[in-house]
Amino acid sequence: MAQIACEYLIPDGIGLEDVKHLIRDRVRFIEDPTDEVTRRFLDSFDWRLYLDQATLEERLDAAGRRLVWRDLGADAPPRMQGIDAAPGFAWDLPTGPVRDRLEPVLGIRRLLPLLEVRSRVQSLRLLNEDDKTVVRLLLEDNRFRDADRDREGSLAARVCLLPVRGYAADLRETARMLSRDLELEPARNQVLSEALAAAGRCPGDYSSKLDYHLDGDQRADAAAKEILRGLLDTLEANIEGAKANLDSEFLHDLRVATRRTRSALTQIKGVFASELVEDYKTRFAWVQQITGPMRDLDVYLLDFDGYQARLPPSLRPCLEPLRAFLADHYDGVHKALVQALGSTEFKGLLTSWRAFLEAPVPERSAVRNAMRPTKAVADARIRSMYRRVRKAGRAITPDSPAPELHALRKHCKKLRYLLEFFSSLYPQQIGALVKMLKRLLDNLGRFQDTAVQVDHLRETAQQMQDAGGVETDTLLAMGALIGRLFDHQQQARVAFSAIFADFDSKPNRLVWRELFAPEGRRGQRA
Amino acid sequence: MKVIGVYNIKGGVGKTATAVNIAYLAAEEGNRTLVWDLDPQAAATYYFRVRPKVKGGGKALVRDKRALDTVVKGTDFENLDLLPADFSFRNLDLVLEDAKQSTKRLSRLLKPLAEDYDYIFLDCPPSISLVSENIFRAADAILVPMIPTTLSARTLDQLLAFLGEHGQLRALRVLPLFTMVDRRKRLHLDIIERLAGDYPDLLATRIPDASDVERMGIHRQPLPAYAPSSAAARAYRALWDEIKTKLLAG
Repeated sequence: MAQIACEYLIPDGIGLEDVKHLIRDRVRFIEDPTDEVTRRFLDSFDWRLYLDQATLEERLDAAGRRLVWRDLGADAPPRMQGIDAAPGFAWDLPTGPVRDRLEPVLGIRRLLPLLEVRSRVQSLRLLNEDDKTVVRLLLEDNRFRDADRDREGSLAARVCLLPVRGYAADLRETARMLSRDLELEPARNQVLSEALAAAGRCPGDYSSKLDYHLDGDQRADAAAKEILRGLLDTLEANIEGAKANLDSEFLHDLRVATRRTRSALTQIKGVFASELVEDYKTRFAWVQQITGPMRDLDVYLLDFDGYQARLPPSLRPCLEPLRAFLADHYDGVHKALVQALGSTEFKGLLTSWRAFLEAPVPERSAVRNAMRPTKAVADARIRSMYRRVRKAGRAITPDSPAPELHALRKHCKKLRYLLEFFSSLYPQQIGALVKMLKRLLDNLGRFQDTAVQVDHLRETAQQMQDAGGVETDTLLAMGALIGRLFDHQQQARVAFSAIFADFDSKPNRLVWRELFAPEGRRGQRA
Repeated sequence: MKVIGVYNIKGGVGKTATAVNIAYLAAEEGNRTLVWDLDPQAAATYYFRVRPKVKGGGKALVRDKRALDTVVKGTDFENLDLLPADFSFRNLDLVLEDAKQSTKRLSRLLKPLAEDYDYIFLDCPPSISLVSENIFRAADAILVPMIPTTLSARTLDQLLAFLGEHGQLRALRVLPLFTMVDRRKRLHLDIIERLAGDYPDLLATRIPDASDVERMGIHRQPLPAYAPSSAAARAYRALWDEIKTKLLAG
């Protein structure tokens, strides 16, 4: 379709009635009754819809309650779908055009309210000589309300021009009339953007992805603090969502930020006093520990349909008691998590950690790498971890015990985190290296996660038996599932050697060496 | 995208009213909906106040000279578009006959619209012809409105026999329904009762013979738009719900 909706701002001092009169002098239209419209804009915590250049609103008006999806980048009409309950997860919505579009974008995240725009809307239908509607004009008086931040206020009144397919010439003519005769200024932003700005919100202000802009000459202890501050921000941003269990990604992101914090503490070596590093390593390990059981249950339940799909159809229903068992434990485990995240120990950890990270670095430091340039420290750490990955990877044979693969995976993760922490120092090439490493990590993850799942299934089978009343068929189905998981693990193991060989190929080795070579030796090996 | 043909060999049985009203209801629910008025009489086009004109006529569409989405017109209702009729559609059989793979032409033409629409309703001309065969191939289901008369069963049998003779059409979902039902007429009730036993896919909803439906031509709007709580509008709502259930059940 070659038409788009256009919006115009009505200047202060001109009322909607004035605009209507001006239009009436020029074209014939029918007025629909004035409608009170409430638009509750929604997005995930990590702005998935915004990043996909889309908006979603729960719209309440005379026509009822609907979801309205708009693709801002595409020249397509909005998608709409009636609903009768507040939207949350995509899978809870009734099937329909909005759900179809939303599901792949939202994934496993929950829709959260951004803010509300309340409008008094007068709809004018511009008619041709057959009394056919050829253009729709909406005159909107808008206000926003951000309940979370307790803010509200007026927004600019707008004239929205809605095309009717097949009547492009009428649309163009009306647009001309609005800008030339009525001298209205086209709106540069959607009403949502205007409302977000008025509420002091910045779209895309949360992402679990790391995005540092470090200076290679900066002192390494200052850079390390910057990295760790970013991780603490992420960790803190996810606490309330994890406590409320809005969706499983809050806890996941909190745990990833914790893991990265531990990794940064140990891998950016010699920038802080060793006693301090030891202390916080232990305390963040505790955070990992208290959040583990809930994450395990989340993973189990999120993957449950996948587990069932691995079994022959006749065995699938036999796994349902396992789902019920896990669901029964869920509330208790979540309660324990909420307690731990509300504990003095946890709060004290974050307060003291923030105080340390926000304190300026000492003018002089005797710690080995503290005052060295960040780039030199990063080069050395990445080189060293890369060597460890290669050495451990080359030692893997088809008969290597599982812990050796697990150890390799841990080295790879540390290397990946280092690359991500310092990526701004190596602007161009690092994306390809992370991608390559991710492929290797995916393979090792498949292997290790399967091992963990098998252990969990065994433990859970025991717990179910201890609790009494577990059916033999359920235990058999769990046994069959363990068998399938072992097959899956074996496939990952078979694939390992080719994936590692690719990672360790000569051209790749040269890229790694060149990119992270010490300052004076760069370019010598290329 | 689901394509639903509204078809009967006979004319004057309420095909257009059925197509227009259930398309309106589908769109009202938020589904992106298109009505293709294939009948040169252009009744659906008239109801939506659109001029019955397609540049280049049916020939341009069938021969891919003009893509379907370039001739679509928005109606007065959100989510509801119309592909208008053109008087040249009276010769569509001849044009199709000249085309390659003449029985699958419509199906091919509709394919690019799959991304744009959730439902496409084909308001079909009466008769059994190459156009009908194209519709049968393009559609996921065919609604067959019938007035409860003795001839109804005969025309339905003719249609089923035709589909039975064509291997690829045997699986087509055929959903007959009664329209213009006058509950005061003993004959109507008798025929409905008799056919209900013979055709398991016969839809339970009956559209009453109501002057509200006839007034569509005066209002030039779908019935639920101007008389949403009339008995006939309620019947169309029930019909649409029943069709969705049947389609979902596969």
